[in-house]
Amino acid sequence: MTDISSTPAAVPSKSNGVSGSLLTESPLMKSRNSAEVRFRAFGIAAIVVALLTLAIMLFTIVRDGSSAFFQATLSYPVLVDGAVVDKAGNGDPAEMAKVTTVGYARLLGDSLVRHLAEKGITVEGMMDKEITDMISKDAPARLRNRVLADPSLVGQTIAVDAFVGGRIDGYMKGRVDRDIAGRDSNVTVTQLDMADKMIEAGILRSKFNWSFITGSDASDLRPEAAGMGIAFIGTVYMMFLVLIFCLPIGVAASIYLEEFAVKNWFTDLIEVNISNLAAVPSIVFGILGLAIFINFAGLPSSAPLVGALVITLMTLPTIIIATRSAIRAVPPSIREAALGVGASKMQTVFHHVLPLAMPGILTGTILGLASAAGETGPLLLIGMVAFVTNYPAGPFDGGFLDPASALPVQVYSWASRADPAFIERSSGAIIVLLLFLVIMNVSAILLRRRFERRW
Amino acid sequence: MYDTPNSTDASVTQTDIKILARGVQVHYGEKHALKDVDVDILDKTVTAFIGPSGCGKSTFLRCLNRMNDTVASARVSGQILLDGEDIYDKRVDPVQLRAKVGMVFQKPNPFPKSIYDNVAYGPRIHGLTKSKSELDNIVETSLKKAALWNEVKDRLQETGTGLSGGQQQRLCIARAVATAPEVLLMDEPCSALDPIATAQVEELIDELRSSFSVVIVTHSMQQAARVSQKTAFFHLGNLVEYDDTQTIFTNPKDPRTESYITGRIG
Repeated sequence: MTDISSTPAAVPSKSNGVSGSLLTESPLMKSRNSAEVRFRAFGIAAIVVALLTLAIMLFTIVRDGSSAFFQATLSYPVLVDGAVVDKAGNGDPAEMAKVTTVGYARLLGDSLVRHLAEKGITVEGMMDKEITDMISKDAPARLRNRVLADPSLVGQTIAVDAFVGGRIDGYMKGRVDRDIAGRDSNVTVTQLDMADKMIEAGILRSKFNWSFITGSDASDLRPEAAGMGIAFIGTVYMMFLVLIFCLPIGVAASIYLEEFAVKNWFTDLIEVNISNLAAVPSIVFGILGLAIFINFAGLPSSAPLVGALVITLMTLPTIIIATRSAIRAVPPSIREAALGVGASKMQTVFHHVLPLAMPGILTGTILGLASAAGETGPLLLIGMVAFVTNYPAGPFDGGFLDPASALPVQVYSWASRADPAFIERSSGAIIVLLLFLVIMNVSAILLRRRFERRW
Repeated sequence: MYDTPNSTDASVTQTDIKILARGVQVHYGEKHALKDVDVDILDKTVTAFIGPSGCGKSTFLRCLNRMNDTVASARVSGQILLDGEDIYDKRVDPVQLRAKVGMVFQKPNPFPKSIYDNVAYGPRIHGLTKSKSELDNIVETSLKKAALWNEVKDRLQETGTGLSGGQQQRLCIARAVATAPEVLLMDEPCSALDPIATAQVEELIDELRSSFSVVIVTHSMQQAARVSQKTAFFHLGNLVEYDDTQTIFTNPKDPRTESYITGRIG
C-alpha cells in the first residue's frame, strides 16, 4: 500500500478490500445515481414543457393579432366641395360644424366613384351605392375632423386615406371569401370583385394602422375603426397612480414592520392578514372598490383613479411581502455596524438598510405592478369596461377622473364581440399588453443591475 | 511585554475607573445569561474578557454600549456607570452612548460604501466636523491610527468591501476610532483574521491604549496575555476572576481559572 510500484501484484487484492473496489459501482451508488439522473430529466422536461407552452401561446397570439396592426385603406383624391361642407361660404368653423358626417360621406363616395370612372375601373352590374358602401362608416368622421381643423382645405382636392369596411378588410386578410360574402348582408360579391380590381390599380392597400394603437374604441358595425388608445392611456394612468400610491405605503409599512415594530400577537395578526390579503381573489377587491370608492366616497366610475385605488389595495400585500424579504436579506452585520458607530435606528435604516434592499424592493414592486397591469376582474366591477370614445384629459387637467378603459379590459370586451374582426383586434391588444409588461419586467431587471451592490 | 502601569500601582483611584459595573444580570427570555457581574474597567488600559463559548463575555461587552437593546428578549439589570453616570438611566439615549463607547465586531463589517465614507460616516452623523478639510483630517488620522493609511491612501474612493479581511477589520477599527470614543469595545476582533493580520491588529490595540480604554473579548488566551493589562475570566455566566493579566495567567486564585488557562475546561 505504501509503495505500489514495487508490489504490483498486491494492488488488485488490496483494492478489493473491506469496502469493495472503487472501479465498480456499488448497488446503493447505482440507485443514488439513477435517482439523480431521473431528477434532472424531470427538471429538463418541466422546462421544455413550459417553454413549449410559452412558444405556442406567443405564436398563436402573434399569428392572430399581428394583422390587427394593418388595415385595408383606400387612397384617392377627394374634392372638398365648398357647396357641401361650407354652405355659407365664409369659412366660419362654427357654421361648418353644422354639416354632419352624412355630407362628408357624400363627398367621399362621389369622389371615389369619379376616381374609379377616370381610371376606367368598373365591375359589371355594380351600382354607385355599392361602391360608396365599401367605404368605412368611420371615414366621413375622420375627414370632417380634418376639414374642421383646417378650413383652408375647402375647395381643394386632397389626398385621403380612408378605411374600407371591415368585411373587405377581412377579405384581404383571408377571413372572408365569396362564399361567405354571398350570405352576408354587409358585403356583396360584386364589392369583392371591385376590391380585387382596386388592389390591382393600387388604390386599395393594406397599410400600417396607427389609429389601432392611438384611436378610440368603435361600435360593433365599425371594427375597422376600433383602437385601443383610450385603454392604453387608462392603463398608463393607472400604473402611474398605483406606483405613486404603492411604493411609499408599501415601503413604509415594510420598514416599520421589519425594523421598528415590536413582535407581539398584534404584529403577528397583521402579518397573517397581509399574507391573507395577498391571496384574496382580485374580483373581491373590485366589489370592495365599488362599495367604498364609488358608492360611499362618490368617486366617478370608470375613472383611472378608482381603478388605481382598487389595484393599489390588491398589489400592496404583494409589494409589502417582497419589500420585507428584501429588507430581511440585508445582513444584520450592517445594522450592527451602523448602530455601533452611533447611528440612530432611522439613520441605520435610511443610510444602510434601504439602499441595500433597494434592488429587491424595486424588482418586487415592478413585478407586482406588472401583474396588476394585467388585472381585469376588479376593473370590470368599477365600470372600466364602459364604451369610452372620448380621450381622458391630461394628467394635470383632471384626466385621472375622466372615464377611461384599460388594456386587459379592452381585450376582454373585444373578445366578447361577435365580429371576427374584433377577435383579431383582441389579439392585437394582447400583443401591446405583453410588450407593455415586457418593458416593465426588463426595466425591473435593469434597475436591479443598476442598484445591486456587493457586501 | 507586560507594560502594566495601572496594575502594578496598588493605589487605583476612583478617577482611573472608566466603567464601573455592579451586580449586572442579563436574561435572554428565560435564560439567565449573566449572573451578578462586578467589574471596574480602567481608563487607558486594555481589559481582556476570556472564557469558554457561551460564558457571557460577549453578552457583558454588549451591555457596555447597550447593543443588547436591539435584542428584543434581552433584559439587563444592575448598574453600569460610565464616568459615574448610569448608562441604563432612562434619560440616556443609547445612540449618544455609542458615540462615546465604540465597537468593533467579530466579523469585519464595513459598509458597502467607499473607504472614505466608511470612516467619515460616524463624524458626519455626529456632526463632529464643520468643513470638508476637517473631515478629511479625521479620516486621515483615523486611518493612520488603524495602521491602514499607507495601504489605502491612494484609493479612498474605492469600496471598503473590496479590501482583504485584515484590511477590512482595520477599516472597521478606523471607523470606530473616527467618532473619538472614550472606550473601544472589541468583540473577538481577530477571529476572522490570519496570524499576520492578527499581529497588526494587536499592535494597533496596544497603540490605541494611549488614547482610550479598550475592552477586548477573545478566545485566544495568548492574545489576552499579549495585549491586555487586566483580564476577566467568565464561566457559565459568572465572572470567576478579575485581576491583572499577569496574575491571572501565572497565579490564578480560582481553580476554574487555572483549569481553563491550562486547557482542562472550555
